Amino acid sequence: MNTVDEVLDYAIDQEQQAADFYASMAERAEKAGMKKIFLDFAEEEIRHKERLLAVKAGERELTPEQEVLDLKISDYLVEVDENPNISYQDALIVAMKRERAAYELYSDMAEKVPESNIRQLFVGLAKEEAKHKLFFESEYDERVLMDN
Amino acid sequence: MNLKDLLSPFFVWQRAFEKPYTTMKPTIERPGAPAYRGFHINVAETCVGCGSCHTICQNHAIDMVPVEEFEGRPGDSGLRPRFDYGRCCWCGLCVDICTAASLRMSNEYAWFTDDPNEFHFTAGVDDKSWQQNEHGYRRAEGYHLYPPKRIPMDMLSPEESVQSFDEVARGYSEDQAKREADRCVECGICVATCPAHMDVPDYIRSIRDGDYENGLQLMYRTNPFPATCGRICTRRCESVCPVGILGEPVAIRWLKRFIVDQVDAKDYNRILNDDAGKQSGHRVAIVGAGPGGLSAAYYLRRYGHAVSVFEAQTKAGGMLRYGVPSYRLADADLDKDIEYIVSLGVDMNYNTRIGKDIPFEQLLQDYDAVFMSTGLSLPSSMRIQGEDHPRVLSGLQVLADVANGRDPGIGRKVAVIGGGNVAMDASRVSRRLGAEVTILYRRRIADMPADTEEIHESQEEGCTIVPQAIPVEIVDAPDADQVTIRWGEAEMVQDPKGGRPRPVLQEDRMHEETYDCIISAIGQGSDLDYLTRDVQEQLAIEWGKFSPGEYQRTPLQKVFVGGDVANRTADAISAIEDGHHAARGIERFLNPDAYKNSEPESDSSRPGGEDQ
Repeated sequence: MNTVDEVLDYAIDQEQQAADFYASMAERAEKAGMKKIFLDFAEEEIRHKERLLAVKAGERELTPEQEVLDLKISDYLVEVDENPNISYQDALIVAMKRERAAYELYSDMAEKVPESNIRQLFVGLAKEEAKHKLFFESEYDERVLMDN
Repeated sequence: MNLKDLLSPFFVWQRAFEKPYTTMKPTIERPGAPAYRGFHINVAETCVGCGSCHTICQNHAIDMVPVEEFEGRPGDSGLRPRFDYGRCCWCGLCVDICTAASLRMSNEYAWFTDDPNEFHFTAGVDDKSWQQNEHGYRRAEGYHLYPPKRIPMDMLSPEESVQSFDEVARGYSEDQAKREADRCVECGICVATCPAHMDVPDYIRSIRDGDYENGLQLMYRTNPFPATCGRICTRRCESVCPVGILGEPVAIRWLKRFIVDQVDAKDYNRILNDDAGKQSGHRVAIVGAGPGGLSAAYYLRRYGHAVSVFEAQTKAGGMLRYGVPSYRLADADLDKDIEYIVSLGVDMNYNTRIGKDIPFEQLLQDYDAVFMSTGLSLPSSMRIQGEDHPRVLSGLQVLADVANGRDPGIGRKVAVIGGGNVAMDASRVSRRLGAEVTILYRRRIADMPADTEEIHESQEEGCTIVPQAIPVEIVDAPDADQVTIRWGEAEMVQDPKGGRPRPVLQEDRMHEETYDCIISAIGQGSDLDYLTRDVQEQLAIEWGKFSPGEYQRTPLQKVFVGGDVANRTADAISAIEDGHHAARGIERFLNPDAYKNSEPESDSSRPGGEDQ
């Protein structure tokens, strides 16, 4: 990945893969209402993909300088099974952890490449993923940690 | 008649050329005295439309009229006082009684118009020059026509209460209840706020009249669990009671309890006069014998429908029996409510789990309608490392053990995780079992979803609350009978998207502490595994809860749902109303011809139901 377009294509592909993953989870989900929830997650990933497509088309810019709140919820949660009988709580954990992994991947890449517009791009992508993580963590904070 | 009299009409004419004595308006307006009782001023934003001014007015000079901008506001009738100055005698009683202290009088007294109909106005809403007047009569500070403080309930002292599971609140005496009932201004704002729309002002009046049988009849119109709700209701009514604006709200819950406590259970049949033999020929199955299920059972029996209740536990009551400790609700009081419902000929099937002992589809086949109210019975998991440690217990399990007379084995030093009612109950139960209790909660005390009274009482009983504490890991303690928790301090950070502040773990401020056990009480979820996937697909289920439509009905024609598994409030009174509402829906479903000319109920037309 040497060019801006290559990096963006990779990131766009990752979002598509995430959407496909949630669509397949929706297909397999056994618990009441989980099908719809996974389809919602898939839609969210498609929105992320569209944002990146807009960046590639020059219609939108990433914001590498923006500070994103880190609730650190997923950092201390255990890995959960991605089985068909998955609960809403665990589905959110899966989503948070995936976004966290993506955030860490782009942050690592930003550190490894020399200072350039590519590094800024990786930082920008990491911030995008941090925002996605915040979205799912806020949802977890609201809906799962109600009494806590 | 003399000559002067004969000529006088001609002399009178000369008056026509003199300067008149009366004028349209005095040229010099003298201001009223600073405390003059002039035209009324109402701060319409502060006013809640309780209508106390209207009730107290001896001249019927005040009408309560709807004002659009205040309609639908919680704890507000949406009405505002409209004054008729053809009737007002300026006595100021309306100002003296005003529960919100929004009403006062200006020192203006001059209002000139040719049209007498103009002397009506809605204070604070219609634009009047005196609304901003600084002077005029207002109630002296500290002066109240009714006592601002409620009559205190006799309670066990915290030192006494932790010694046993005896009920902490001891109940009002007749004199106390009557004095407390006297504080009610009968505005009825509580009726609109109560999920069951209980007729609060009228049953409180029955205390003043000493007619407790009438009070009981009024309560059963909308709630067949008055002994229970008189003790543990979340009492949203009290949160909107206008008497609470300047003082303490009327103790509605304790007054309800007082009425029930005055009536012996053996007299219920005579007083309530429900026909246990009534048979409509229709059969309804109810899944779950909690407050939702049994409320539905009661009202369905009143319609004459045969009711079979299926309950997985050995006794009825649901979370009221297995989740609410006896120091808040004694079994005898819960049983008083339940036994009367069951006495109306309800067929109770205990130890029967639908989905295991009887397939759900069987109910659909065998009954004309089904009502499900299965509650939230699955404790949520913290999903942190080490949570499966044997010394980590669930709050619900601890409460159920104690309710069943089993020793939950908590030890002497306990940490409770959570800030809801289950966490508070588990903490207070642990204190009674002799443990030293620390409650770890990830947000601020003010954010705790538990009843503020429970939070306060748990602290009084010696529980230590550590707010902004986030558990991150559970590890083995040096002693195998103990467990160690790692938790970190949290900073509350404003959410950029709005909403309440969110706790953020501060990784440089971590703590470690060892306990005999950790009780996890971070919330509960539904267990809907008794329904096949096929049935689940057909029922509208979102976030693990049903989302019923009109009359608590699901997309499956004959299936109705209610209680914690179908509402957001997850309290007993909402479940009771859901059961009542569903019973009315089931009645309409089973007897459509009888209701074909009546409109479906809207939310605002629900109080009491149409024929209950």
